[in-house]
Amino acid sequence: MTAAPETVSLPRSPRRRRLPRPGRFEPVLWIAPALAVVVFVFGYSMVELVKTSLRYEAAWTFENFHVTWSDPTFRTALTHNGRLLLAVPVLVASALLVSVLLFEGLLGWRFHRWAVFLPFVLPIPVIGVIFGQLLQFNGLANQLLRAFGLDGLAQDWLGQPRWALWTMTGVIIWKELGFGVILFLARLLSVPADMFEAGRIDGARFFRLHRFITIPQLTNVILFYVVVEAITMVSWVFNYVYVMTNGQGGPGDATQVTELYIYQTAFQYQSPEIAAAAAVSLFGVTLVLIATFFRVQRRAGLAGDA
Amino acid sequence: MRARLGVVAVIACVAAVVLTGAGLAARAQSGAAKSSADKVNLTMWWWGEQEAAGAKAWLNETIKLYQQEHPNIAIKTVLQTTDGLIPAFKAAAAAKKGPDIQYFWGGIWSLDDAWAGNTKAISDYIPQSEVKHYLNAKEDTFDGKVWTAPWYVQPSFPVLYRKDVLAKAGVAVPTNWSQLLKSCDALNAKGITPLAGGIKDGWFGGWLYSIIGAQGITSISDVLDATTGKASFTDPKQAAWWSRLEELVQHKCWNNDINSLELYQGQQQWADGKAAMTVAAGSDVKKWVKQVGVARVGVMPMPKWGNGPYAGKLGSTSQTVGITAWTKYPQESANFIMFMHRPDRMASWFKTTGAFPADDRFNTNLITLPQQKVLFGLVTKGSPYLENFIPPELDAKAMFAQSQLLLGGNTTAAKAAAATEKTAKRIRLTQRKLIANFNKWSASYR
Amino acid sequence: MRRSLGRLWKHGLLLVVTVLALFPIYVMLTAAFKTQHDFLAHPWSPFFRPTLKGFDTALGDQFPIWFRNTLLLSGSAVACTLLLAALAGWGFARWSFRGRDLLLGVLVSLMVVPPVVLLVPLFVFGVDLGMISTFRLVILIYVGLMLPFSVYMLANFFRTIPPSMIEAAVIDGASSWRVFRLIVLPLSAAPLVTLAVVNLLWVWNELLIALVFLQDDSKKTLMVGITGFQSRYSLDVPVIMAGLTLATLPIVAVYVFGQRFFVRGLVSGALKGE
Repeated sequence: MTAAPETVSLPRSPRRRRLPRPGRFEPVLWIAPALAVVVFVFGYSMVELVKTSLRYEAAWTFENFHVTWSDPTFRTALTHNGRLLLAVPVLVASALLVSVLLFEGLLGWRFHRWAVFLPFVLPIPVIGVIFGQLLQFNGLANQLLRAFGLDGLAQDWLGQPRWALWTMTGVIIWKELGFGVILFLARLLSVPADMFEAGRIDGARFFRLHRFITIPQLTNVILFYVVVEAITMVSWVFNYVYVMTNGQGGPGDATQVTELYIYQTAFQYQSPEIAAAAAVSLFGVTLVLIATFFRVQRRAGLAGDA
Repeated sequence: MRARLGVVAVIACVAAVVLTGAGLAARAQSGAAKSSADKVNLTMWWWGEQEAAGAKAWLNETIKLYQQEHPNIAIKTVLQTTDGLIPAFKAAAAAKKGPDIQYFWGGIWSLDDAWAGNTKAISDYIPQSEVKHYLNAKEDTFDGKVWTAPWYVQPSFPVLYRKDVLAKAGVAVPTNWSQLLKSCDALNAKGITPLAGGIKDGWFGGWLYSIIGAQGITSISDVLDATTGKASFTDPKQAAWWSRLEELVQHKCWNNDINSLELYQGQQQWADGKAAMTVAAGSDVKKWVKQVGVARVGVMPMPKWGNGPYAGKLGSTSQTVGITAWTKYPQESANFIMFMHRPDRMASWFKTTGAFPADDRFNTNLITLPQQKVLFGLVTKGSPYLENFIPPELDAKAMFAQSQLLLGGNTTAAKAAAATEKTAKRIRLTQRKLIANFNKWSASYR
Repeated sequence: MRRSLGRLWKHGLLLVVTVLALFPIYVMLTAAFKTQHDFLAHPWSPFFRPTLKGFDTALGDQFPIWFRNTLLLSGSAVACTLLLAALAGWGFARWSFRGRDLLLGVLVSLMVVPPVVLLVPLFVFGVDLGMISTFRLVILIYVGLMLPFSVYMLANFFRTIPPSMIEAAVIDGASSWRVFRLIVLPLSAAPLVTLAVVNLLWVWNELLIALVFLQDDSKKTLMVGITGFQSRYSLDVPVIMAGLTLATLPIVAVYVFGQRFFVRGLVSGALKGE
């Protein structure tokens, strides 16, 4: 029996000396409090949600789902979440590029790393307000563009349905990029240096080097990041839309998303049954993501620190 | 190591203590309130500082005076945000806990909660001899009862114009619709924005619907019937206003950033001299006149198109206060509301905010500002304010949304009208109780 | 020559990314110290006469109350989460029982549930029990939302504690509680602090739940407050920016001084055994 690096000597237990055998229920004791909270917050909610979605005027019915799915606004909201998902590859590619650049250790890379991660720390309401000001048609961003003679690029970023959702996507990317950069960079830093040395000695320059050596190292992390960001685009964008469009969902329906739809239906239009049906639908979609996440975790767990 | 462990333990303990303390304190408070039966605590949730600058100061002053006369009554006020006013109240209504007095815009905004059983009719607690003096009480009346008490009149919504800007451009003040369109062309030629507005937060859509749309109908029941399905929003009477709005867009009457500015930000552009005209709340006229200069500002209703009974008239509605259904002190709440209508209080209200008290006993000799004189004349011969007679969901999904699209050049008048009818069709399906109430309401206007 | 050119585009790209990242914050900070007039005239100029008027107005509003509420909420919620997550994490790590991996997997997967989905039923529950605008309910919900990630992180970390240390203590006659208290917790100081920081960030920035469940004016949090704040002062940009700066300052301060905890905490989710 090897001595532990830090030997901790325990005071003798006053009870008689025996090997305590954890009963079969001991782990339950430890897990129970956390489990209770989780079961209430998630379990109770889901059960009640499904119940509400299936009732209308004291009768069990599927009508709520029919009404919800026949609402063009709801379908639009779902497609918009889908369009937000299109941002994920862009996000991943950008994060890869930036993290690789940082990894090269250029002068001032630490400052760049600090700056790139700062947006991730900022609260979304704050970001939403600032960008709301910046992106007005005659706001700062366009003023800058016009000052440089790029008048054609000065669009109504938030006010035109053509741009509104892309603008929203851009703001979300702005914030979420830092997370990916940090993830990838941390992983890269833990890879033994000789892997890259071998490639450099062989004469591989930037793109070859990274394509064939760096990126394969990052596969698991990339996968993790993709899943996390996909979940964000479906389930965690309410704050952006609410703050930047004053809770309206953009010009017309241009920035309507499922979360906002549920919120409006429940709290502004007083139709909890329809909101519940929409919520159950959204949860159904995220179940797919849950299954993917599950699998990714299993893979990462089995693969270990390769 | 031990220290860090201790820190964690301490944090956990502190948290536990805080939670327990908060819980105990909450229980103690409620216990205390029950024991002293004489003390009356009223809470009032309201809105209005945003459109009647000075309202907060007046309310504080009024409460102070009231508490002096009734030392056992304490009144607390909470000023809500525009986007939060209704969700906060709906949450309180669901919990059956919250304010004793609540602020409501007139018409549907009052009746919606009356129908939901969230308010007690003020006519049950304020005698008819008093209520009959309140202006625009009709739009808050249903089933023979007046549900909320008008507080101040909201001339909805005058066009404010800058005499200096128009004069410099050599453009006359437009008095009808075709002149308005011509003046847009003339002003644009001189590089001046004709009309300033902001519709990013949606509300301006409801305003435009009301001040342009009212001119096309012959009676309020037209609008109520369109909601219930007896008529349609694609009927010429209902749909004509979209064409008028489209004309404004075609003549480039609006500021080019109308879709990225909020309501009040649009008005500020006008005050900053960047546009010749804007649309503002009547209650706010004094503030804008003071900011821009008395000699420079003129006030008029939306220029006339059409020949309906409301064409060329200014909308008139009153913002109201009501008594919540769960309050323990309905009569005390009603008494405070009546106190708000005392002659000295009304005079002080007008002096502080420049908005007209919704009371025919108001001493109109106090009106000295020329723009307010004009406004008062207009509003006493006013027309109903259309936005108060459609479901809020229709307002948001159709009037707000389609106006945003139309002003951004992304839809046409015909499509907007069709979209409105489509939304209405859906509401007729999903809000059957509301539609039933609308039918009953419409009957009272025929 | 080629090498420096090659480096040039890399430097350039990083510079662009950094400027894009920092520009909005720069705008916020400079605007906060300008007068309304200065801001309208020179929105992005760094040269101006600084004034504290914006901050004055912001502080005179309800910032202190919102600040206090957010502090109270974050502190309590994070403390409870850490406690429960540590206990549960140890339960998962120490003992192997049937269905353990499945249970842990399901628990962790809950991270993907959109909070808005839970909103309506929890709101109705809160209404039925008169708990709307109480901190208790919100803390409960926050703890529930933070537990999946926290349990996952701590379970992962606890698994890396050498079993030999545990065996030694057990043979010495320690009860599992003592083992936990005297061996596991001291070793976990770093991940606990990290988790505290990450969770604190999350609660601090949370908007939707605070918006729906804390409607009372006296209970509003910082995020809810500034959302309404910006609509009330929509015409006075410096005041808005001053308010935003105040709301962001604590978090940015923590980030500047505790950067590595942030990084470590977030990275641990993806890489095992940090």
